[in-house]
Amino acid sequence: MSESELGRKWDRCLADAVVKIGTGFGLGIVFSLTFFKRRMWPLAFGSGMGLGMAYSNCQHDFQAPYLLHGKYVKEQEQ
Amino acid sequence: MVARVWSLMRFLIKGSVAGGAVYLVYDQELLGSSDKSQAALKKAGEVVPPAMYQFSQYVCQQTGLQIPQLPAPPKIHFPIRDSWNAGIITVMSALSVAPSKACEYSKEGWEYVKARAK
Repeated sequence: MSESELGRKWDRCLADAVVKIGTGFGLGIVFSLTFFKRRMWPLAFGSGMGLGMAYSNCQHDFQAPYLLHGKYVKEQEQ
Repeated sequence: MVARVWSLMRFLIKGSVAGGAVYLVYDQELLGSSDKSQAALKKAGEVVPPAMYQFSQYVCQQTGLQIPQLPAPPKIHFPIRDSWNAGIITVMSALSVAPSKACEYSKEGWEYVKARAK
């Protein structure tokens, strides 16, 4: 992986993390205000979910060149 | 009867607000792949500052307040990657020549001491 491609992947990861954590936090605020009587746990839950999704995406992005995707092939009868 | 209708109305309003937020997130694909999130962030960076400026202008017009013009923030161009790489290269090259330099300096020091002792 070249350095520029690595830099692009890091940029994408950081942008993705910001968006996902912010979205989770925002949804947590909405649900906290509407259904959960202004408790704090929906905010923490939403932010944590966003962080986890961003981490998973980043991990997949960085491991992508090295992941081998296999498939089953039926044996052909001679 | 009225209280029941009112609580039902409240639930429907809250449900529609929460459902609208979830639909907005789904429609904009904010929780999807990282490409789409990056595109959404870039679009927000382009749209939000002009919108904030227009809103502040509207508020100024309606209220008659004059918001002072803030000076532009200084643009700091500090290439962290280049200075980090240069620092690493400098440290590693210093470590690699350290034994030979130490030998050379100790030899020079010994010659100096011998010359002074004569």
